[in-house]
Amino acid sequence: MNKSRSELGQIIRGIARDPLGLMGLIIVGTIVFCAIFAAWIVPYDPVAMNIQARLEGPSLAHPLGTDQLGRDTFSRVIMGGQVALKVALPAVFGAMAIGLTLGMIAGYGPKWLDNLLMLLFDTIRSFPTVMFALAVVALVGPSLQTVVFVVMATSIPTYGRVARTQTLTLRNSEFILAERSMGASMARILGVHMLPNIVGVLAVLAAMDIPTVIALEAGLSFLGLGVKPPTPSWGALLKDGYALIRQTPWLVVGGGLPIILATLGFTFLGESLRDVVDPKLRKQR
Amino acid sequence: MTDTLLEIDHLSVDYETARGDLKALRDITFDIRKGEIVGIVGESGCGKSTLISSILRLTAPNTRFREGEVRFKGQDLLKASERQMRDLRGADISIVFQDPMQTHNPVLSIGQQMVDIQHRSKASKAEKLDRAAKMLGAVGIPDAQARLKQFPHEFSGGMRQRIAIAMALMSEPDLLIADEPTTALDATLEVQIIERLQELQSELHCAILFISHHLGVIAELCDRVVVMYAGAVVESGDVREIFHDPKHPYTRRLIDCDPGHIKERARVLPTIPGEVPDLANLPGGCIFRDRCDQAMPRCANEVPPLEQLREGHHAACWLNHEEVAS
Amino acid sequence: MLNFAIRRFGLALLILFVAVTVMFLMIRAVPGDPVQIMLGPRATPELQARLTAELALDQPIWRQLVIFYTNLVQGDLGIDVFSGRSVTEIVFQQLPHTLWLILAAITWSAALGIGIGAYAAAHPNTLIDRITAAISVSFVAAPAFVVALLSLLIFAVHLQWFPAIGAGEGFWGRLNHLVLPAFAIGLSWVGYIARLVRASMLEVMGENHVRTARAFGINERRVVLVYALRIAILPVVTVIGVGMGFLLSSAVFAEIVFARPGLGKLVIDSITTRNYPIVMGSVLISTALFVISTALADLINAWLDPRARAAK
Repeated sequence: MNKSRSELGQIIRGIARDPLGLMGLIIVGTIVFCAIFAAWIVPYDPVAMNIQARLEGPSLAHPLGTDQLGRDTFSRVIMGGQVALKVALPAVFGAMAIGLTLGMIAGYGPKWLDNLLMLLFDTIRSFPTVMFALAVVALVGPSLQTVVFVVMATSIPTYGRVARTQTLTLRNSEFILAERSMGASMARILGVHMLPNIVGVLAVLAAMDIPTVIALEAGLSFLGLGVKPPTPSWGALLKDGYALIRQTPWLVVGGGLPIILATLGFTFLGESLRDVVDPKLRKQR
Repeated sequence: MTDTLLEIDHLSVDYETARGDLKALRDITFDIRKGEIVGIVGESGCGKSTLISSILRLTAPNTRFREGEVRFKGQDLLKASERQMRDLRGADISIVFQDPMQTHNPVLSIGQQMVDIQHRSKASKAEKLDRAAKMLGAVGIPDAQARLKQFPHEFSGGMRQRIAIAMALMSEPDLLIADEPTTALDATLEVQIIERLQELQSELHCAILFISHHLGVIAELCDRVVVMYAGAVVESGDVREIFHDPKHPYTRRLIDCDPGHIKERARVLPTIPGEVPDLANLPGGCIFRDRCDQAMPRCANEVPPLEQLREGHHAACWLNHEEVAS
Repeated sequence: MLNFAIRRFGLALLILFVAVTVMFLMIRAVPGDPVQIMLGPRATPELQARLTAELALDQPIWRQLVIFYTNLVQGDLGIDVFSGRSVTEIVFQQLPHTLWLILAAITWSAALGIGIGAYAAAHPNTLIDRITAAISVSFVAAPAFVVALLSLLIFAVHLQWFPAIGAGEGFWGRLNHLVLPAFAIGLSWVGYIARLVRASMLEVMGENHVRTARAFGINERRVVLVYALRIAILPVVTVIGVGMGFLLSSAVFAEIVFARPGLGKLVIDSITTRNYPIVMGSVLISTALFVISTALADLINAWLDPRARAAK
């Protein structure tokens, strides 16, 4: 516990030394803080309508103005961050867990199973992501769960392939061969020796995947096919803003900037994390 | 001295690194006369590569020329403009690199590359291709005209090194630098390449700076030898003199360790014990001291100067001074 | 080479087969009567009967699959139940708009990305290198639809430099209408390709053959642009093939934001009217496009690289 804590400290210090990493750390920290304490930060109820105050421009009372139903944009932006993380985190961790499992099975299991799983991964990757998402939404209807499912399904192959490659490499490494020759069980080899080595690489991938997921959630919500109204999502904000783009540009700016900030922040953080944790990975991207 | 082609004059070169300055070359002095073959011998890391890249000025960005001159036909190359250097490269000075497998561009045909290096000629492309084919024929590549269309990976290692030699000699340079051209090849190929090089040299009368750690090849090919150790010249002179009467313990050990010179079938190939000193943190005194079995107290305190022992034979060792003294 | 081509396209076909089957089963796996779902509130007994017969829903599932594939091979993706037109016809009518958009985006982003990447690699660790690296990473992170919206706001609504909606008429009109959408979906590719080319160039520039070229006095411009870049852009070809999939995705957003005709617009409109045959047909065609372009990129890559040409 002590060891892992000091390792974490080292990683954070490493990221903070890199200017872009520090910027990412600050942005992501702010977003996470706002998401956790959203309920206390927001000046107004993000779903409360106020017809008298509709489509107001930015003012002291409403820093980012109000939408067509008189809802405070700033409050909706803050709450939208919570929604974005609510989709991104479970989706990324779910995909990572499933991808890790399947990838290790593919890498360690029999050849036919490996081939089958690789074909499955290739198949999922052969759908253009948004088109696949649209097909699923068309069939089961839009909801937060649908978005999580789509994101998970489409990013499993990435984690799976990396986990497989890592497993294959480790499988033939000296220390695993030594373990096997001493009769270690498969569970022990996979769980004790391989897992920790693979998780590190996947965690870096996951950090770099979060911006993609946030963008996809916002994109689907923008199309009206993501989270359902009146849930305040950044994408939904943009949808409202788009409809009124000529009258109320602040809605588009209010919805667009947090998305760009969030993707930038997570990207900077992810890149920096990768350089600190595993400089070798740099070449692969 | 009018027939001197290249003079390396008290050349010192450092690499700037995070650990401090790496003293890659220190006070190197020797010269090459027109049409002469000079060998440089030494272990890996002795500064041979730095020396070559300094002559051609194809050095890494962290290279610093601290002192000395590299004069080619009287002109100091270290002070020449980049433009002047480019005019020399591949025209007056050519080079054959060590690893034939990586020396050619993998996605351009051999013909294309051989045409490209004739960029100074005003001849038509067909004429340049003809010349390239003739040159390939001269280094012993059969069916050269047809093979010009092929890519590097379609040739064997020995073939590729012949092509590299053909390319280097195409401009009929005054100086050919050969950087361990046969190290990556097996023994029979080595002999063939060396013989071919000798033939071509006697035809073209170019001077050759031949770098190798294989003493047998040097003895066969060269007129004079420069022995380098840890970035400095420890002995230089006529090939026969050096081989029959080495005046530096390092040279002696090198000759002992050379597989060609081991008469009896030794079970274990002799090696020189110890390691090359850290160039970023050079010890005082003689650089070979730690590995020398004849080291004396004086060796730890004073750097032995490279001194002329006889006409055309220099060595840097206090032992030679002891002999004079006693 | 021919062998490699056959194997690569064989794999593409296999993947496509599995993908289409997965899609087919997905439709059938949705709980409820597929005819009811497909027709939604507009279901009339006649329409229901027609669709049931057409999809062979009264047959066992394997028969349905066989019928589906038999039709597919003949280029028949079914009939749009509302207009009675062939789905294939409707999809292919919209497809060119999307393809032009993607082509425009790939062209400008690859040209600029390769330029920036090569320049940065030729001047590593200079101020310009650092600046382009930071800009590249920001471009990569910018989601296409946000860029589309912001560029619509700035360049079409405020500055009015470019038209906001539609696809335009005539060559110049079409081109003018392509500028903003192609800019929006290509932007992240500029960053992506620039980074890829920079890394790849730096690696190639360190290889021995570049030193050889320099040692022969070949001028630096030619060394960088011919001797190094020829090799360094090989991975870009592969990435552009994969990029088709990403661009097909981003194109959906660009078509909605700029109200352009195209595959994405067709799908979204069909989802709102619950026109499932068209949704599935479009997804199927775009998937096929993606699979084929990936395989094609691999082939072009192998063809451009004489080493691979021989090995495969």
